[in-house]
Amino acid sequence: MVSLPVVLAVAALLFGIGLYGALGQTNTIMVIMGVELMLGASMLNVVGFLRYAHPDATSGAFFVLVVMTLMAVEAAVGFALVISAFRHSRTAEVDDLTELKG
Amino acid sequence: MSDWTPVAVLAVALGGAGAVALLEQLVAGLRPAPAALARDAVATLRQPLRRPETYDTWLFHLAPGLLVIAAVTALATVPWAPGFRGIDFQAGVILFGGALAYVTPAVFMAGWGAGSPLAVVGGFRWLALMLAYAMPVAMVLTAVAAPAGSLRPADIVEVQHAVPMGLVQPLALGLWLPAVVAVCFLPPFDLPHAPSELGGGTFAGYRGLDAALVRLAQRVLLVAVSGMTAALFLSGWHGPLLPPALWMVVKTAGVAALILWAGRRLPRLEIDRALALAWKVANPLAIVAIVIAGGLTLGFYR
Amino acid sequence: MSDLGIALVFWPTAALMLVTGLYVFITSSMARAGLLLLASLGVEGLIFIALASEFLGFLQLLMMSGEMVIMVFFMVMFMPDPGGLMGMDMTHDKRRSAAVAAAIAVALAVVAVLTDWPARAVGNDAPDVRAIGFEVMGRSMITFLFAAMTILFAMVGGVLLAKAGGRYGIGAPRGEPRGPRSDD
Repeated sequence: MVSLPVVLAVAALLFGIGLYGALGQTNTIMVIMGVELMLGASMLNVVGFLRYAHPDATSGAFFVLVVMTLMAVEAAVGFALVISAFRHSRTAEVDDLTELKG
Repeated sequence: MSDWTPVAVLAVALGGAGAVALLEQLVAGLRPAPAALARDAVATLRQPLRRPETYDTWLFHLAPGLLVIAAVTALATVPWAPGFRGIDFQAGVILFGGALAYVTPAVFMAGWGAGSPLAVVGGFRWLALMLAYAMPVAMVLTAVAAPAGSLRPADIVEVQHAVPMGLVQPLALGLWLPAVVAVCFLPPFDLPHAPSELGGGTFAGYRGLDAALVRLAQRVLLVAVSGMTAALFLSGWHGPLLPPALWMVVKTAGVAALILWAGRRLPRLEIDRALALAWKVANPLAIVAIVIAGGLTLGFYR
Repeated sequence: MSDLGIALVFWPTAALMLVTGLYVFITSSMARAGLLLLASLGVEGLIFIALASEFLGFLQLLMMSGEMVIMVFFMVMFMPDPGGLMGMDMTHDKRRSAAVAAAIAVALAVVAVLTDWPARAVGNDAPDVRAIGFEVMGRSMITFLFAAMTILFAMVGGVLLAKAGGRYGIGAPRGEPRGPRSDD
């Protein structure tokens, strides 16, 4: 029933949904949410491999831990950037934040 | 984990909630009146659910359910006796922390969903409070798990067979109690929800089944949190004379009574006082507690 | 968990995860978007538990609730229409991004299904938590240190970025904001 290709396919679909959000949304925070979904998909991949291919690969579990931590870190830095950009140009839309100058 | 565990956990949840209701009356100085409480509960359940003026009806009505699920899951991780350890996952302490963490979005959903300005303000104040107090909970759980060398609550109880962890790590216990009272939205940390503040707070709009579920979740949370305090800090089921399960019940009831009594005695903390206490005192001291726990582990608990 | 048990848990939760993930970008209420993302990634934690990585699953549940409420905070602060009442369309290039995303998702799924994965008879035990601990503190210590340093730099950098006027407060409004308790 549930086997490695199934888990990987579900993770691929989740990745696609995250990519749709990251590409298609205008607000920076929604883009960050898309990236979170993509990272979640990669974690699901690793957990699938952990269960169905290499149950004793503790480095895989550690990888998932690090990805989880970096999800949080990336979101935090993203929010700090949003605050800074908002303070400067009163907008958090990706389409308006196209200039590095200023 | 036997097949009876889920049923047993639910029985403990409901029985514990009832016991907490009676305990609340005792602590308030009233004579416990189970019949009156039962009549009250039935009257609340018979009220119709609140209809249209909510802003986000889905979130509003989902919140009490999420609260109950979080509370029962947290309760399920508490080990009550060597023979009944709840759902005995090897990372049980993390499931406890995770279940408590879901109280945060649940109460926020209640506030935001209600839509009345004071409820939304209460919801956001609750978020700020929980972001501040969730970290001491997680850090103290780490500090307590380190000497036991395991994330399983039953193992942490076993390592206390000689000395309770509360005596060895009083700083951790001192940080854990306020943080965990804040998570249970009990006084003195209940500014966002108290009936006399902010127009009734985040739960003001609930009627009927929703209101009953919120009260039930609060009581089950109190049982879970008191039980986990007894297991992690007060040697759990170890003790002379009485059977282990009875010791756990006595210790849990003691912690719950202490929390309820402190809620009645201490003045309700204002939001900025509570947040300052968390960020300036509790979080740094929690890091210190982890360092102390590391030293203890290397020195005594090999 | 038995194979049937895993299947019974996996299919509904995977469907829920995908649907709530998609609705994050369809809904116009920002609080709902954040909470739907919490639902999606939290349910993913349940899938981890079903696939026998319970430690990772619990951690996922724990961390996602904290992260997502912070996201809701920020969305209400910075988005033009957090309540979703005006029905603004917050997307650009909807068709093209949907096409690209669908193409990549299908390509990855096809690769996953068609590859000849080596058949291994594995039981349902994920790594023991102690083993993960030894891994973190032993073989992967360098990675762990780098991750820790990254977190520290992100914390400091984030605070500096968010501070008005940068590190030295140049151009920031003067004086402490006067709140109700100015005696702290």
